[in-house]
Amino acid sequence: MTCYFVIVGHHDNPLFELDFSRHPEVVKMEDRRHLNQFIAHASLDLVDEAKWQSGNLYLKTIDKFNELNVTGFVTASNMRFLLVHDSSLRTDSIKNFFSDVYEHFIKAILNPFYEPNTQIKSQNFRKKILAVAKKNGVGS
Amino acid sequence: MSEVKVQGEVSQTLFEYLHMEILSHLIESYGNEKKGEVISALEALGSRVGESMMERVSKDVPRFRTELDAMIFLCKQFWTHMFNKQVDHLKTNNQDMFVLYDNNFRLLMHLSESSQHQDKSPLFLAFTSGLITGALSNLGIKSRVTYEVPKMPQCFFQIKINL
Repeated sequence: MTCYFVIVGHHDNPLFELDFSRHPEVVKMEDRRHLNQFIAHASLDLVDEAKWQSGNLYLKTIDKFNELNVTGFVTASNMRFLLVHDSSLRTDSIKNFFSDVYEHFIKAILNPFYEPNTQIKSQNFRKKILAVAKKNGVGS
Repeated sequence: MSEVKVQGEVSQTLFEYLHMEILSHLIESYGNEKKGEVISALEALGSRVGESMMERVSKDVPRFRTELDAMIFLCKQFWTHMFNKQVDHLKTNNQDMFVLYDNNFRLLMHLSESSQHQDKSPLFLAFTSGLITGALSNLGIKSRVTYEVPKMPQCFFQIKINL
């Protein structure tokens, strides 16, 4: 079951990545991780196109790759949240997941020691996002 | 018992005091001659604060279609969040220049209206000009801000954006 979440900043750099995938074959895990990042990066153009068409923050599924879907969420400050997943997740849970992550993201940005558009290295943030993911049924 | 909601009055006074203290501390540490460095330091401070504040104020707001929409949001919601009032007047040449007029700027409100210290009044606006630059850069708009105080407590900010 694949599930890969990434927050992309203004220069198309990943600020935060989280991989919840679980595969029966552990050997192929490394390749899968590179593939997930590649899929997310390739769908950035489609995100930019889709965001002009709708004014909503939540964009529905914007790209498909084999059996994986990419769902996007773009904030007013042009921060892009991407989720690469297979078809086992419902849209409601993804939507709630994105809103909860958005709240925690804003709190992380308000930290004066955090430089904007750089990697979020806080362990606290990672724990909170894992908790949010569990609560919404994403990746478990 | 009815619930009384105080709209953050204490934090606004504290912000004004803090701003005054930052100013006097920077002038002391850099000396009276190096006004340029004081202004750069204040603008850098304001820029970082502006970025974070814009992220917070623009929560759940749909994306802006044009730069004008972004400027209007800055003049209304953002200015209200920072100074408890809106910008009084916004002028634009519809290309790349915007001018924000504020007739009763909060950080100048408590200073005397005489023109005796007119030359020092730009120092009070440096932080806010950094605030505007930071807020706009978070929305993806690169800008340069100049400011003037024609008569206390009025002031205006001229914003030139790169298209």
